[in-house]
Amino acid sequence: MGVSFDTPAENKKFAEKFHFTFPLICDTDRKIGTAYGANADPGKGAQRVGVVIDKDGKIKEWHARVDARAWPAEVLKTL
Amino acid sequence: MLNPGDKAPDFTGRDHNGNPVKLADFKGKAVVLWFYPKADTPG
Repeated sequence: MGVSFDTPAENKKFAEKFHFTFPLICDTDRKIGTAYGANADPGKGAQRVGVVIDKDGKIKEWHARVDARAWPAEVLKTL
Repeated sequence: MLNPGDKAPDFTGRDHNGNPVKLADFKGKAVVLWFYPKADTPG
């Protein structure tokens, strides 16, 4: 799932443009970004943090910066 | 930052269609989250 601090309207446009099949979470109060270490600069958007959570609800991988295009597809192949 | 083995912080939010999304809803499944600074920007 993608996460940003954008509004639902902004993310809806984004999802429709690229025909995404996954949800884009609208973390407008930045709570999720803060909990996951992606809100280092409150004056800017989220950092490109990538996280894999295993089926037991534990962190499997946490990356400070991932390639938005390649990483999700790559990591999904490993699950 | 978070370390492997840490409990993933639970969250609730809304997706781009206004549907509620909770991490707890994905219990028993692996979840991939990626954060991005702004909708529809390259990077």
